[in-house]
Amino acid sequence: MLELEGLVRHFGEVVALDGLSFAVAPGELCGFLGPNGAGKTTAMRCAVGVSAPDAGTVRWDGRPVDLDVRRRTGYMPEERGLYPRMRVHEQLVYLARLHGMSSADAGASATRWIDRLGLGDRRDAAVEELSLGNQQRVQLAAALVHDPQLLVLDEPFSGLDPIAVGVMSDVLRERADAGVAVVFSSHQLDLVEDLCRTVAVVSAGRVVLRGGVAALKRQGDRRLRLEVDGGTAWVERLPDGVEVGAQRQDAISLALRADIDPGEIIDLARTSGRLLGVRLEEPRLSELFRDAVDGADVTPRLQPDEVPS
Amino acid sequence: MSPTRTVLLIAEREVRQRLRGRLFVITTLAISVFLAIAAAVPMLLGVFDIGGDDTDAGPVDPVAIVVVGELSSDASEVLEQAIGPIVVQPATDPDEAAALVTAGEADFAIVDGERIVVPARSGVFAFDPPAASRAAEALALSEVLSEQGDGDRVGAVLDLTPLPVQQLGDQDPGDAAARLVVANLGVVFLFGVLIMYASMIINGVIEEKGSRVVELLVEAVPVRRLMAGKVLGLGLVGLGQTVVLFAPAVVVLVVTAGDVVPPGIAPLAGLLVLWFVLGYGLYAVIAAGLGSLVSRPEEAQAVLTPANMLMILGYFVGFASINAPDATFARVAALVPFSAPYVMLVRQTLGTPALWEVALSIALTLLTIVAMTLLAARLYEGGILRVGARVRLRDAWGAAKR
Repeated sequence: MLELEGLVRHFGEVVALDGLSFAVAPGELCGFLGPNGAGKTTAMRCAVGVSAPDAGTVRWDGRPVDLDVRRRTGYMPEERGLYPRMRVHEQLVYLARLHGMSSADAGASATRWIDRLGLGDRRDAAVEELSLGNQQRVQLAAALVHDPQLLVLDEPFSGLDPIAVGVMSDVLRERADAGVAVVFSSHQLDLVEDLCRTVAVVSAGRVVLRGGVAALKRQGDRRLRLEVDGGTAWVERLPDGVEVGAQRQDAISLALRADIDPGEIIDLARTSGRLLGVRLEEPRLSELFRDAVDGADVTPRLQPDEVPS
Repeated sequence: MSPTRTVLLIAEREVRQRLRGRLFVITTLAISVFLAIAAAVPMLLGVFDIGGDDTDAGPVDPVAIVVVGELSSDASEVLEQAIGPIVVQPATDPDEAAALVTAGEADFAIVDGERIVVPARSGVFAFDPPAASRAAEALALSEVLSEQGDGDRVGAVLDLTPLPVQQLGDQDPGDAAARLVVANLGVVFLFGVLIMYASMIINGVIEEKGSRVVELLVEAVPVRRLMAGKVLGLGLVGLGQTVVLFAPAVVVLVVTAGDVVPPGIAPLAGLLVLWFVLGYGLYAVIAAGLGSLVSRPEEAQAVLTPANMLMILGYFVGFASINAPDATFARVAALVPFSAPYVMLVRQTLGTPALWEVALSIALTLLTIVAMTLLAARLYEGGILRVGARVRLRDAWGAAKR
């Protein structure tokens, strides 16, 4: 179990982390969301020990993260990082061995991941000779090659084509199923919604929304779209907890608070005429995200790299 | 994984990557071959034969002499005694004799028993043919002795052996010359490799920092070990390169001219290795610490300037001390760690440093290496993850406290 507790990090005047706390359990595949500058990258850097927080603790299984834990952590930095002139297989073996694997295990594991990620024919190419997409696959392999128990991936999906997105999703799901704690940041909310069972939304250096995707959706506003023959006068009689959205002739969009029974609203609508159409939609993650972020303090934050020197 | 294994693993990668660089390998091998050939050149040209013992050189070609006028039988006897067998060719006048000498038909000419004519000199350092000089001396000598009625003693006089000449001091001149060469070459070589490897270190650090791969590394490896591995790996490459560069030349020199190379020279090669290791240790950690402050190769030389200045200063002091290896300034400079590698090398080669001076110099340099390693490690920790603009010394120092 990875636990971040009360992380604070300042860059000069800029507050990147403002008491950020959350935990990721083994087997969990957690999407780490937030607008630009919310503190995602800084939090992930603190989690893997690349950066140190000004205050707060990072624990694994209840103990502060030390070198042994970090060796069993796989990290994909936001700015990709590999030796440009080193060959793919050789580089993965080297990184695996630095993380404590024996030479033989490292070799086998590097080969396995190269094949799994479709880089078989490029294993002896220098990284700088690869396409960006392939470099990103190597970067993922570098995070996975030493068989980590914790995976921290900063924007693993950015810049991938749909096929690579599929491969990446499969690998992450498979790792989580194998008991690895996986947390990754992304701006592709639909992808996260499909892939993750849990999410954490960060805004202004704090976690503003945390939980299972399904549970969060149940708590969010549902959308009900109704089309009734006979006008929209019934709208005046809607109970509290229902917000009226777009309205066009007989059709109307409503946002229903989680505790409102859609059946009641439909019954109400039928009092004024024949029902022509009904559509009930669960809230999208992107809506939950927007609501959560809008509710928090959203003064713009700078990324660490953008700190004026 | 133990710290030692981590450091060795990192060092191994450095060595492997360098050896894969074709330019590096080819350049090194080419220079090595060039040096080996250069070492063989003196032997090939027979330079070491000059003034050598030529009595066992087999039958000697007769010396060809052009004679204008008469050459008495006494005179030709004297000549044969002085310069060995001769072949005499008559000429009618000095002009014809001169033409023959110039054409190379004869080694020299004797005109009317009065003067010797030799070919024009063909270079600044050319000498008159030794046979001509000896013939001139012998003829003059025999003339004087004959006038005094001692003509029969000419042979004895010509056969005399010079008294041995003893030079004061305990060094033989060959050894002293070789030591001077070693001191000069040693200082130049040391300067060259220190500058080169400091630059290799800093570029290696910048490569890791600039490509961000360092973020993957620090996750698994404390930055000190990262730095230590890099310094160790490149140091081994440097040592290996030194051996590859010079070993063939030394072997060639010993095989082809073993009896000419003074015996005291071999240990000097050991000194060169010792001071390379110490000098490299000192400047490599400084370069690593400074390298962690910048992210782009263009900035490498600028940030390295202070270290380069120290290296250049040491180089000049080293050269200056060649002329006075035991002067006070050389004795002091040999103890100052930044110039010690150059100056103590010179003093141990040319001067007479006391044992305690050598020991103190090595100890002070080692201490400074330790101090610089701690300093550099702290800069490295504070600077290596801060990509972008150049990190100020103070910021790197402060950042490392966490």
